[in-house]
Amino acid sequence: MVEYRIDRRSGVATYVQIVQQTKQALRLGHLRPGDRLPTAREVVEATAINPNTVLKAYRELEREGLVEARRGLGTFVKRSLGTAPAAESPLHGELDDWAARARAAGLDRDDVAALFTAVLEKHFAVHEKHLQGESS
Amino acid sequence: MTTLTAPAPAPRAHLTRWLLRLHRPTLYVWAGLVLAAAVLLLLLRGPLADAAADAWRQYDSCTDWRRCTYDQNAILRYKDWYSYATLAVAAVPFLTAAWAGGAFGKELESGTAKLAWTQSSTPVRWLAVRLAVPAAAVAAGTALLVWLHHLAWATANDRIDTAKQWYDVWTFHTNGPTLPALALCGLAAGALTGLLSRRTLPALGLGLLLTGAVWTATQLLLPRLWPTRTSTGKAFFALPNSSWTVRTGKHAEVPYGDYHPASHYWPLQLTTTALLLAVTALLTLGCFLALRRLTGKTTAG
Amino acid sequence: MTDTAIAASALGKRFGRRGGWALRDCAFRLPAGRVCAVVGPNGAGKSTLLALAAGLLGATEGELTVLGTTPAKARPRVGYVAQDKPLYPQLTVAETLRMGADLNPGRWDAAAAERIVAAGDLDPKSRIRTLSGGQRTRVALALALGKQPELLLLDEPMADLDPLARHELMGVLMVQAAQHGTTIAMSSHVVAELEDSCDHLLLIGGGRVRLAGEIDDLLAAHTRVAAEAGTDLAPHTVVDSRTTGRQLSALVRPAGPLPAGWHTGAPTLEELVLAHLRNPEAPALTAVEATV
Repeated sequence: MVEYRIDRRSGVATYVQIVQQTKQALRLGHLRPGDRLPTAREVVEATAINPNTVLKAYRELEREGLVEARRGLGTFVKRSLGTAPAAESPLHGELDDWAARARAAGLDRDDVAALFTAVLEKHFAVHEKHLQGESS
Repeated sequence: MTTLTAPAPAPRAHLTRWLLRLHRPTLYVWAGLVLAAAVLLLLLRGPLADAAADAWRQYDSCTDWRRCTYDQNAILRYKDWYSYATLAVAAVPFLTAAWAGGAFGKELESGTAKLAWTQSSTPVRWLAVRLAVPAAAVAAGTALLVWLHHLAWATANDRIDTAKQWYDVWTFHTNGPTLPALALCGLAAGALTGLLSRRTLPALGLGLLLTGAVWTATQLLLPRLWPTRTSTGKAFFALPNSSWTVRTGKHAEVPYGDYHPASHYWPLQLTTTALLLAVTALLTLGCFLALRRLTGKTTAG
Repeated sequence: MTDTAIAASALGKRFGRRGGWALRDCAFRLPAGRVCAVVGPNGAGKSTLLALAAGLLGATEGELTVLGTTPAKARPRVGYVAQDKPLYPQLTVAETLRMGADLNPGRWDAAAAERIVAAGDLDPKSRIRTLSGGQRTRVALALALGKQPELLLLDEPMADLDPLARHELMGVLMVQAAQHGTTIAMSSHVVAELEDSCDHLLLIGGGRVRLAGEIDDLLAAHTRVAAEAGTDLAPHTVVDSRTTGRQLSALVRPAGPLPAGWHTGAPTLEELVLAHLRNPEAPALTAVEATV
């Protein structure tokens, strides 16, 4: 069973946090096909967030084909996510090289973070906007 | 004041039960007060009056003043306890007003009235129950007390020389239905000041003041509530003690007096009671109007 | 069952004949099943609005419909908890709940009320006057929820509560919404307190409704923009704008696509609320049409 932790200061929409944490649990194998996700009641009792937010996150997961809702029974995991550790991917190596070069060029930690965030926003802002703007 | 209960949806909410529960201490105090006063009045009517009457008989039969023995203490004891009993009974309307003002003021001040108004029954029904139940308790208690007081007074009449006349200010009210009527009036006055001031202490004080004002006005009007008889000259001086002279004067050098004979006791009691009940009805109407002002026009239904 | 929990049109409330208007020209609609944050500064008219909906006050003008009928007729189906959580101090917790059962015949869910009280480790035999603020709030909520209301009105429910009690009680409310679809409207002057729990917003400022609608829609209808100082923001509706040095930052309601040269971002709920409260003259947005 997965337990959601909502970080109010992260700036990430609450339902996105639930989606991300579910995917993380799928990647790490904490959730496997056939497992039941906590009911909206269980989630809201523990987190005090709006039940519609939980349902919205579950709908998003369902849309991505990761879970399925069974009427009157709950929401169940349909398939797991590839568990290839991110650390072994070539992307990780490239980013590692880039960080080393940035350091050699005299950038400090904050400079790197600002640069990285700017690039991240450029490439991922559209997706994020899509998620936030979607209404139920 | 009797038929205030508004129509309620079925199933009925048990408002009365909770009113009694919330004011249980007051109910006990009221029952204790009535009981104590009743016991005192029964004692007055029985042993105390008998002892005083005996003492008066001894006193009246005295011929030799130097050797006269009579139980002076019994006479004084009767006189004192009669006064205490009369005052205790006469205080009931004012106690009622203070309680009602305090109780209503507190419910509005602490917000528990809002709690009551947001349950399933209407504010109108809340007020109706809050007036009708104490009205029943106060009316029953005071009716018993004035009846016992009347008995105690009647037994002393003609036997005890210092017994109060029927028209004595306090005795008049504590002997008949005017007192229960004034008590109901006090209840409505306290409720109204509570609903208007919405604070405990001001409501308590204003409730007392309003009841005092009604009582004073009644006192001023009382002699005029039934036509007086007029007696002139010798006949005027020959009127019995039981005649209540309300006005004297001289007309062409002949003294005259307007008076109420003892037979006017009941007409005066009933007209005064009717007047007080009319005032009570007006104050009660004022309570419902004040409630409507508080909770909006749409509270009925 | 109606799909509208509360609907107001031209609603106004004035205290006394010569008093000021506590609420004026209010028009909004709260659909059933929502958890609505009634937000605004102290004295903005939040309590007045909730009291009107609870049938505790009569409107001076305009119309207010609650659960498809008048507030007075809706009374048995509406739960209300006033700001100071009034309860009878001389009663015990158990007696208070029994009173709830007696005063709401045919509606009372004793098990639900007792569950809420029991979850707070409250001894049913303790007197109300001995309870802490959080415990009082719990009993007041149990009393309101035991009535199985279709609409629950809460005036500043979380004020004076420690963070733990606040979290627990908000959990109780969210469970109610999840299980029974109860419409909840709760007021607060702290937006952050309600942000995660509510999906609908009613922003009240100066006795008027400034924003009303689904939080997601309201956020989507606004954009945070940064542009060069002196940029003309027309034809977009400007809610708030400030110029710092060479940069103009503003919160706008786009009337169409924004120029590519502007830096844009999605506002947070708090930014949205503050921008509207800072600018009372900014036009209200009370009926959000399908946007973006």
